[in-house]
Amino acid sequence: MSDKLKEIINKQGAQQESVVDQLDDVVQLVGFIIGDEEYAVPILAIQEIIKPFSWTRVPQVPNYVLGVFNLRGSVIPLIDLRLKFGLTPKKQNEDTRFIVMRHGDDVAGFVIDRLTMAIRIKKENIGAAPDTVNGDDTIIDGVGKQADKIITILKVNKLLERTF
Amino acid sequence: MDEFQEILQDFLVESFELVEKLDEDLVELESRPDDLELLNGIFRVAHTVKGASSFLNFDTLTHLTHHMEDVLNKARHGDLLITPDIMDVILESIDLMKALLEKIRDTSSDDGIDVAACVARLDKISNGDLSGLADADKALADAAAEPEVEEKVEEEAEEEELDLENMDADEIEAEIERLLNQRQEEDKAKRQAKIAAGEEVPSMPDEPSEDEDKKEDKEPQAPKKAPAPAAPKKEAKEKASPRAAAPARSTPTTVEQTIRVDVKRLDHLMNLIGELVLAKNRLIKINDDVEERYEGEEFLEELNQVVSIVSLVTTDLQIAVMKTRMLPVGKVFNKFPRMIRDLSRELNKKIELVLAGEDTELDKSIVEEIGDPLVHIIRNSCDHGIETPEERLAKGKPEEGTITLKAYNEGNQIVIQIDDDGKGLDPEMLKEKSLEKGIITEKEAESMSDKEAYTLIFRPGFSTAAAVTSVSGRGVGMDVVKTNIEKLNGMIDIESEINVGTSMKLKIPLTLAIIQALLVGVQEEHYAIPLASVLETVRISKDEIYTVEGRSVMRLREDVLSLVHIGDIFEVERILDASEHAYVVVLGLGTSKLGLIVDTLVGQEEIVIKSLGDYLKGIDGIAGATIRGDGGVTLIVDVVALMQMAKDTKVSQVSAEATATSSNEKTKASDYTIMIVDDSKTDRTIMRKALEPMGVTLVEAADGQEALKILKAGDHNFDAMLIDIEMPRMDGYTLATEIKKYNRYKHLPLIAVTSRTSKSDRMRGVESGMVEYITKPYSADYLSSVVQRNVKFKAEFL
Repeated sequence: MSDKLKEIINKQGAQQESVVDQLDDVVQLVGFIIGDEEYAVPILAIQEIIKPFSWTRVPQVPNYVLGVFNLRGSVIPLIDLRLKFGLTPKKQNEDTRFIVMRHGDDVAGFVIDRLTMAIRIKKENIGAAPDTVNGDDTIIDGVGKQADKIITILKVNKLLERTF
Repeated sequence: MDEFQEILQDFLVESFELVEKLDEDLVELESRPDDLELLNGIFRVAHTVKGASSFLNFDTLTHLTHHMEDVLNKARHGDLLITPDIMDVILESIDLMKALLEKIRDTSSDDGIDVAACVARLDKISNGDLSGLADADKALADAAAEPEVEEKVEEEAEEEELDLENMDADEIEAEIERLLNQRQEEDKAKRQAKIAAGEEVPSMPDEPSEDEDKKEDKEPQAPKKAPAPAAPKKEAKEKASPRAAAPARSTPTTVEQTIRVDVKRLDHLMNLIGELVLAKNRLIKINDDVEERYEGEEFLEELNQVVSIVSLVTTDLQIAVMKTRMLPVGKVFNKFPRMIRDLSRELNKKIELVLAGEDTELDKSIVEEIGDPLVHIIRNSCDHGIETPEERLAKGKPEEGTITLKAYNEGNQIVIQIDDDGKGLDPEMLKEKSLEKGIITEKEAESMSDKEAYTLIFRPGFSTAAAVTSVSGRGVGMDVVKTNIEKLNGMIDIESEINVGTSMKLKIPLTLAIIQALLVGVQEEHYAIPLASVLETVRISKDEIYTVEGRSVMRLREDVLSLVHIGDIFEVERILDASEHAYVVVLGLGTSKLGLIVDTLVGQEEIVIKSLGDYLKGIDGIAGATIRGDGGVTLIVDVVALMQMAKDTKVSQVSAEATATSSNEKTKASDYTIMIVDDSKTDRTIMRKALEPMGVTLVEAADGQEALKILKAGDHNFDAMLIDIEMPRMDGYTLATEIKKYNRYKHLPLIAVTSRTSKSDRMRGVESGMVEYITKPYSADYLSSVVQRNVKFKAEFL
């Protein structure tokens, strides 16, 4: 256990070192997995991350809108990103989380398969969305390049937009 | 600028309040023209509005109110008798005043409304010229203003100052000059009088008296010193406004101890109370659970007490906060005497309006919504209900028709009742008219009861008036009534008798934020139906439902009630097997009825309406959501939309979709999955040991609830279950009954493994759906063979 902890601390330390001094040029993101892909959203757009609990189905909505749930007295819609992205449904397991995102007054919970980590990434390492998905309609904000992988950064306002 | 806006807001709120009262007073004044108290009150209103508007630079408004004030002042001093003709002009001017105020509210300026004609007429009256109230020329207006000023100098100083607002800078200066001279002359006269009285007037004491004069003179002089023409006006106004407002405030009439609170704050408070109500519900639920588990414990009583106090206080608090949002219905009723007066003059009918229960209180939001429907209903009564005086006399009724408007509480609802003693509704005529206009078919007309026929007046496009008048006959009004009342979750009830009159009852809930709801269950989901829309609930068996043209109906006493299954409307998946019996919730809205079939009735609960938010708003049939005692979310049914949706929903064929999952081909022994449910670890291990040699997959659960959870999760396709009877939380019998409710588990073999051996236990096992009954102790071989038999285990896997 302690080894693992050390490993994590080292990893985080390494990440911190790689961060440039000027914080202005750094974007903080939270990464998560849906299907086989890693996505990320700006950390400031996230209100909280919670473990899954029960929700209530709402009729006459697309299948990716699972329903609504009670977050400390507020009724909040729950959206399954797997289904929204056209993947097959998957049973929720112990890695599943609800990410509650906020943009202005809009709030919704999103079901994701697994969290990865908080990411600090330099602005210069974020590329524009691929040309094929460009345009106003895309929910992709950009592509973050990291040492060993690329992360798709999503637009929170687009995620929270009702499209039905 | 902000400060100005604030003052403007206060001004508008105050003015609208005053104007509202004015309307009522004026109509009363007409019947009692010599009531000085009333006149004074009306005068004060005009005066206050004038004072404040001049301060805020609303010149048009000031101009108008000033002339109104003139007329009223004359009447107040007995120089003028209020006749209906004069009243018409006064009322007209008040309408203009209202229009100006509304304009100010919307645009912050009073430009663009022409008041000249009305002012001219007012002047004519104040000049005593009552012959024909045609347009008077401007000269008259000026002439009227002049003597007025002089008259008032003697009486009220503040009025004289207010007149300044109507003059330009030159006139003001002239006026000031004149006043100064006048004052100096007065002083001179005083001094001379003193001297004449033989008093020695030393030069020293004379100084202060002059000082005093100067001080007083300074105020009027101020404009002279100021260079800009706009500045003097303002200064004069600043003086004017506090003085103008003073007489209105100092009146001894019932001064209420009130403060104005922003509605937003009250809304916020209401939200917080809502949260509290939810927490209370939750507490009560927990208390019930604890009571069950720790029966007889001493601390229970204490807990009970606390819970009941909390719930009591919460309820009181909720009522108290609700009350702060309450307004008397009188606020809406006030405008009707005026309306009836105008209408009766317009229609040449004699109509008396009787108001009752104006003190009945309603939530602010409802009071705002209810005005329009009432206007339409009353207009309708005046136009179609009450006959002309000649007709009435011919029928032997008093010449004057009566419309009664009353409000009263009835349980959790407010009833607003509008009665008239007019000609009443003729159901046959209504049907005929509707047929003519193609609103109903001949068939419908035949089967229609009188009560249903009355409701035809609410159909869009319907009108009984032979000709379209300015008052009604367009067939729009009553349709609005219905939609507005339905929006408030209210109901309309009409009773009528030909030549006796019509009575209309609007039943409206007290508040919109927290409502009583009936909770119903369908399959595993719950929905809340506003209790105000529920007429009754009926338990029926399946064969009482008939199908006519693809729609379900049932017979409810004498009526045929159309039915719709809540599951069909909300696309509920049929996992559970429907039982023989169902419940029908009879929904009533306005005058239409619908039976909603549900699986279970859960009970009545007080719920707090929460919105579903922007993302999910506008879903058909869902009005919002509420949070229940257990923290779960329950959707609230929108009865209006539901009734609409019911028309388009066809009966879904309850398909036997039990496409058994067990049909999966078994290719190896481990394809067979068996669940072991037992609270004892030892027993589970014994069973596991007995079955493991077969090579089947085994899943364990420690009690009924856990077993159900595993089943629901659907991760495994079970071929059989071994169930112990005595278990905590949920015993074997209950578990078996629960499992059998699911269509897909209907044929799942359930095997009881228990030490209970009595015959009655076996019987219960069979009743709850167990196929085998193994008593402990048993041999491993026996268990294995029973399981093999029940899962149709293929011999080659052994």
